[in-house]
Amino acid sequence: MRKRITLYSLTFSLPLLLWQLVFFVFPLAFLVALSFWTVKNFRMEPAFDTINWVTMYGRSVFWQSYGLTLALAAGASVLTSILAFPCSFAIAFKLTPKMRQLAIFMMVIPFFTSYLVRVYSWQIFLSDNGIINGLLGLTGLEPIGMLNTVFATMIGYLTLCFPLVVLLQLFSLMFIDRTLIEAAHNLRCGRLRTVFEVVIPSARVGLVVAALFAFILSFGDFVSPVYLGGGDPTTLSILITDTTKSGQQWPRAAVIALTMIGTLLAVAFAAISFAYKGRGK
Amino acid sequence: MTRSNLLKTGLSRRTLLATGAASLATPMLSTRVFAATEELTMLAWYGHAEPDMVAEFEAENNVKFKPKYYTGGDNMLGLISQSPVGTYDVILSDAEYVQQLNAAGYIEELDPSDYAFDEFFPEFQKFPGHWDGDKLYSVITRFGFLGVAYNTEALTEAEASSYDVFWNEKITGKLGHFDWHLPNLGQMSLANGNPSPYDIDAVAWEAVKEKTMSLRPQVGGFFDYGGTFSSLENGQMLAFGGIGDWITGVLEKNGASVRSVIPEQGGLQWTESFSIGKGSAKAELAKKWIQYVTSAKGQAKSADMAAYPALIPNQKGWEVLAQDKPEEAKRQNMLLGQSNVMDMIRDGRIQYRQLPIQQSLEDWNDFWSEYKGA
Amino acid sequence: MNNFNRSKFVEFGLRFYILLSFGFVFAPIAASFVFSFNSDRFPSIPLGSFSTEWYQAVATDPLVWDGLRNTLFVGFIVSVVSTILGFGAAYTDFRYRFFGKSVYMALALLPPTIPVVIMGLAMLAYLSRINLSGQSISVIISHIVICSPFAMAITRLRLSQMDPDLEAAAWNLGASEWAAMRYVIVPFALPAIFGALFITMAVSFDEFAISWFVSGLNETLPVKVLGFLQGQVSPRINAIGTFVFVTSMTLVIIAQILLTRQMRDTNIVAKD
Repeated sequence: MRKRITLYSLTFSLPLLLWQLVFFVFPLAFLVALSFWTVKNFRMEPAFDTINWVTMYGRSVFWQSYGLTLALAAGASVLTSILAFPCSFAIAFKLTPKMRQLAIFMMVIPFFTSYLVRVYSWQIFLSDNGIINGLLGLTGLEPIGMLNTVFATMIGYLTLCFPLVVLLQLFSLMFIDRTLIEAAHNLRCGRLRTVFEVVIPSARVGLVVAALFAFILSFGDFVSPVYLGGGDPTTLSILITDTTKSGQQWPRAAVIALTMIGTLLAVAFAAISFAYKGRGK
Repeated sequence: MTRSNLLKTGLSRRTLLATGAASLATPMLSTRVFAATEELTMLAWYGHAEPDMVAEFEAENNVKFKPKYYTGGDNMLGLISQSPVGTYDVILSDAEYVQQLNAAGYIEELDPSDYAFDEFFPEFQKFPGHWDGDKLYSVITRFGFLGVAYNTEALTEAEASSYDVFWNEKITGKLGHFDWHLPNLGQMSLANGNPSPYDIDAVAWEAVKEKTMSLRPQVGGFFDYGGTFSSLENGQMLAFGGIGDWITGVLEKNGASVRSVIPEQGGLQWTESFSIGKGSAKAELAKKWIQYVTSAKGQAKSADMAAYPALIPNQKGWEVLAQDKPEEAKRQNMLLGQSNVMDMIRDGRIQYRQLPIQQSLEDWNDFWSEYKGA
Repeated sequence: MNNFNRSKFVEFGLRFYILLSFGFVFAPIAASFVFSFNSDRFPSIPLGSFSTEWYQAVATDPLVWDGLRNTLFVGFIVSVVSTILGFGAAYTDFRYRFFGKSVYMALALLPPTIPVVIMGLAMLAYLSRINLSGQSISVIISHIVICSPFAMAITRLRLSQMDPDLEAAAWNLGASEWAAMRYVIVPFALPAIFGALFITMAVSFDEFAISWFVSGLNETLPVKVLGFLQGQVSPRINAIGTFVFVTSMTLVIIAQILLTRQMRDTNIVAKD
């Protein structure tokens, strides 16, 4: 490998670096600066004032939303992982290669539909007079209130995360050395035990990364909590948009945003180190 | 590489380039087609630049509206402050934000003689906040009342005629809030018996907060315009705070069983006004639009706007509406020479929605997010 | 595999679970399709009559066409630029080791993990400071930031399937670095490049949150859909959704066919 810095190497490495520096790092850095600005009468003024941090961190509603969003995202991440696993497991091990190809292709399709449209569609399923309650009505059951509940929000998170989690799990499951599984079988290891003691540990990295993505996506999503959860309770993403909508408090919104980024980084770091724990470098 | 393959890749590259160039050129081409037509930008609530409102004006003046719809007054201020000067030619805003727009220097001064104020009801000829002394900055175009919106199958009109209905156990978990503190807290203040709901002292403010908090267990959700609309229609919510006929009117006309009433404790008035954006390169055309929409003909259209109906301040507009759409004039109670909506105002049953006077707006905001998060 | 671990019941159950999963994934898509042809202004059960009025409403709405044109314009530029940037970064990672590489890679991969609401907020605050907000270019800039990591990941995966000695062999045969890139690396990565073009375009097509913040008057189609959702909820959402879905699926299938054909051609060439 040649290590010199040449025109050739810079041609390929530099453009992305510059772009992300100017249009990714700078905006985030600006967000940090913004969080110290002040707002007077709907107008932002450059300053170095910790008032926004003090105010936001001093408000119980902020910490409530924080805890709630954390719990919701963690819940979505665990739930999606658990619900997706049998599906990806079955696709990886129980289908012929041709069918597997087809299944993967089908799982990619949702990425080409609008998330907004799908969420709007879920409203039709979940509302009091919607499809599900209509079907329940046919069987003579009482309608269940689903829209504007945490349950509906979860459905939204699942809509957002499920296909991605299946795909990510699938890619790690497909690369498991099958002789390992056969060996386990030959050693008369039970079906469930094989899954828990052979399959899951060998696919750990993929499974953790999939769960991490589900966490990241649900943590920042505002569409499901608003359009399926009825905006109640307040998640951090709702709090951010609310804050920008109330007296131009962008600096305070920046405080929330930076706290969210910090949390995501911490969670991502913890997840990645857990995923690679005990693995030889 | 073989020759045939080279040819093929060459070809496909050429076709790719060609399609690329074509798709790149499409936006340019289309702007050229419309080049003869002038473009007028409008910052407004949803619906103000839809064909039912602007088609006639567009055809007469060979102009095309390019709207940006906002979702609230703060959102509007944010959009203006974060766009280059002169981005928006026409700005529709709620009356309470006109002063903010003016203070920030976002709107142009207007010439009062350009507009048909003599046709307006006296109450609306010098609307507070729109004038700075004799200088005019914004022209009122429509208004409406906020009261109790309710599902007529779930509640009777008698029940809905008091704000107490919000605490009714029939609608536990079925009470929606239009997600904005001003109208909701204003109504709570009215419910607490404050004659000027936005001009209350510290004690009254504490009482309003307490009253509001007691409502929290009833609440089924906080909704934007679209959410309010659909959750009332499909019966997901049976009553709503913070709205009025501007939402239920549309649904009522579509056959849904929802209505709004002004309860005994009184109602609020929302008001929408047009201004010309500072630095607009098409101020002349913008003026023409405001003249059009505040003229009798434009006002009649505005009263029956497809997105949401409203009351109109131009008396001549009432006449045109009564002629063209007697049904709608009757439904909204805008008929001259008989008891009509103006009497509500004159009887003192309606208070203007405005920014809080003795507290800062921030206090109201902060309380609203506490309430939502509770 | 021996029969010890096979149970008809479990086998069937797992296959059924796959169907169930697809049922969940496709239910909203299918419902949106069905209701786009439903006459009722507010979707409910039972269905109203068959109607194409929402498609007509969409087709005759010049604002929707403006939005579509904007979306295509943005999507095209975004996909080309992000694929180029992503390819460069993938190649850099594939070939070079240098001080600070982990920081470089973090920069290259991190953007999609930042919640879109935050990205939108930061982008608008920043871009309006440098007078780049409220235009199509603002959407393009922000989309490239979040799309190039996808392009990079796709290309990197493909490159990892390549024997690193291949490039070295080309140099030994006297090819310059540029020539090796032109005749060895790029042809090998071509399927990934095409894949990246389409994936990034798809990401840009569907992105609404950042665009909502920065697009100003030049709204893209997804921002319009969000507008419909915030404003007058209308089955037009379904009509647009179905239209966009059918279009992008057609694109994907065409790309798939082109790719398989091209792979076949490369194989034939290799045999020559």
